[in-house]
Amino acid sequence: MKILLIEDDSDTAGYVANGLRENSHLVEHAANGRDGLFLASGGGHDVMIIDRMLPGLDGLAIVKTLRGAGTKAPVLMLTNLGGINDRVEGLEAGADDYLVKPFAFAELLARINALARRPPMAPQVPVLKVADLELDRLKRTVMRGGKLIELQPQEFKLLEYLMRNAGQLVTRTMLLENVWDFHFDPRTSVVETHISRLRSKVDREFGVELIHTLRGSGYCIREPR
Amino acid sequence: VSLVSPLRSTGFRLIAWYAAMFIVSVAILLSVFYWITSRALDQQLTDSVERETSLMVEVNRRRGVEGNMRGIQVRTADLRSPRRYYLLVDSAGERIEGNLGNMPPFVGWKSIPIAPEEGAGAPRDQHTILALGTRLPSGHFLLVGENDFRTVKAKEAIFVAAGWSIAITGLLAICGGILLGRGFLRRIEDVNRTSRAIINGNLSDRVPTRGSGDEMDQLAINLNAMLDRIEILLDSLKRVSDDIAHDLRTPLSRLRRGLEAAREAARSQKDCGPALEDAIAEVDAILETFSALLRIAQIEAGTRRAAFGEVNLRQVATDAVQTYVAVAEDRRQQVSADLDGTVTVQGDRELLTQMIVNLIENSIRHCPAGTRISVRLASESDGPVLTVSDNGPGISPSEREKVLRRFYRLETSRTTPGSGLGLALVKAVADLHGAALELSGNDPGLRVTVRFRNQPAHRSQPESEGRVSYSPAL
Repeated sequence: MKILLIEDDSDTAGYVANGLRENSHLVEHAANGRDGLFLASGGGHDVMIIDRMLPGLDGLAIVKTLRGAGTKAPVLMLTNLGGINDRVEGLEAGADDYLVKPFAFAELLARINALARRPPMAPQVPVLKVADLELDRLKRTVMRGGKLIELQPQEFKLLEYLMRNAGQLVTRTMLLENVWDFHFDPRTSVVETHISRLRSKVDREFGVELIHTLRGSGYCIREPR
Repeated sequence: VSLVSPLRSTGFRLIAWYAAMFIVSVAILLSVFYWITSRALDQQLTDSVERETSLMVEVNRRRGVEGNMRGIQVRTADLRSPRRYYLLVDSAGERIEGNLGNMPPFVGWKSIPIAPEEGAGAPRDQHTILALGTRLPSGHFLLVGENDFRTVKAKEAIFVAAGWSIAITGLLAICGGILLGRGFLRRIEDVNRTSRAIINGNLSDRVPTRGSGDEMDQLAINLNAMLDRIEILLDSLKRVSDDIAHDLRTPLSRLRRGLEAAREAARSQKDCGPALEDAIAEVDAILETFSALLRIAQIEAGTRRAAFGEVNLRQVATDAVQTYVAVAEDRRQQVSADLDGTVTVQGDRELLTQMIVNLIENSIRHCPAGTRISVRLASESDGPVLTVSDNGPGISPSEREKVLRRFYRLETSRTTPGSGLGLALVKAVADLHGAALELSGNDPGLRVTVRFRNQPAHRSQPESEGRVSYSPAL
């Protein structure tokens, strides 16, 4: 992927750019808002990573300008710890996702992948499929191997999110934000508990595991190899 | 910081202008008064002379010049009121009668200066007479005059009175102005003194108010409210930095020890992976504490209130309970809900979610297996009431206030992982929403009650959304 990184802090920028290059992405980096906007208006980026606080032109203004000019590339905004208003402001300005600094690189990568896969304007597919598991978004039913599986509403939302990002790593924080709308870190094992319940319904009696735990980083639903 | 000199102060200038305007107004008023009065006095004098002249002309016509002579003799004999002067001259220019010295005859008005001794018995200072000369039908010349002494005196008296009036008005305006201005300046000075005290570090100083409700009082009240707000923010900031200094020391020391262990492992060619994993986990915990602290500080700052919207508290509670039923079951605990109707409040959905979640998690984490946790939402007459209660070990009454403080942890929960910020955040969110937070005993266990007050009228629930009870089967 071709990724634009607008970040003034050279440590963070180096860490992110190197990590992305190691994952064979093409990275363009701008250290201030003006250069960033110039590069961004050149177009052709699959994802843009924009810091909220930048010298010259701040991240919010860049996103607003880009969205105003019709740029559709997904934007991941980086915000500082504790800025509880930053997320709402960022999303209102037109960013697609946000990440609080400092972050684990795996988290950034997972979010970029999720953003790049999100078709910006394509209609939502009504039926999601992974191997013999089928989730019907309209009828709100889940079948595996032709057998109907009963799910609690939150289990359904969890499975839907995993399947929408099938084959990709989905982190615990992504699940908390997107499935539970929790923008804080709960102190109990909410995600683990619900994943385990979902597994017992979706995987256990079918022999072949679809939901996988990637230790220390998150979960992934994928076709058996 | 310097004192403004009294002459340059706004208050003084205002008063000087006011006094000047007042004096000028009074002066104009009195000038008009003087002008009109003196014209009336002059008119009175000329009327009197004209009347006497026409009487004399009539006498001359009927009785001849002898009649005039007699009349003049009679009139001038009474020396006590020598107001009038007469001079009767024959056609040859010889003085026949009168109390004035001879002079060339004339016809018409004339102002004649006279020496004090002229005209017997006349007061010393009467030195002009207003005279009207007439030729009588008999051919004689008659002069009738009247002393303008009274008119001049009256004009003088009026003039002096007007002068004094202006002087006294000016004096009153200046005195009143100084009194008023001193009051005004003193109140401005109160504000300045308070500002200086605050600049010098005495943050608790406030501008005195009088309770009169005028503009200066309003200014003082608003300034004080602003200062209160600033003091709260500074306090909160100070507490956060104190808390960080105090409570992050332990995990940072632990992190350091862990990293040293990892370095030792690396030197002795052992696997340092687990040690590094621990170090990362420790850093994450520190960041989380840090984040929670900043979050509490921001909530306390109250900036979120600007983004308040209508939040369906019942929906928030339902979602939270649904999420935690499974979590509790894994710990062989039970969460049940008793949620009454649609209860909406003005608030921040994200923070209210976290508040309910923190309360449920607090019970889950500090209670043993077998505990029943109950979430209740009721709409009472003065606002929605949220209750989260459990039948666990509870908190002794003496410690109930303390657990709302940052980093305060009960002895019994020292071993439970956590930052000790959960209930502090609940308190901050409740305060932000103007809700009263109350911790009480549940006999046994803990009951936390959040009473939402001062909320705009909460909607009554439609029938279809009546009471919901949610109890999972164990």
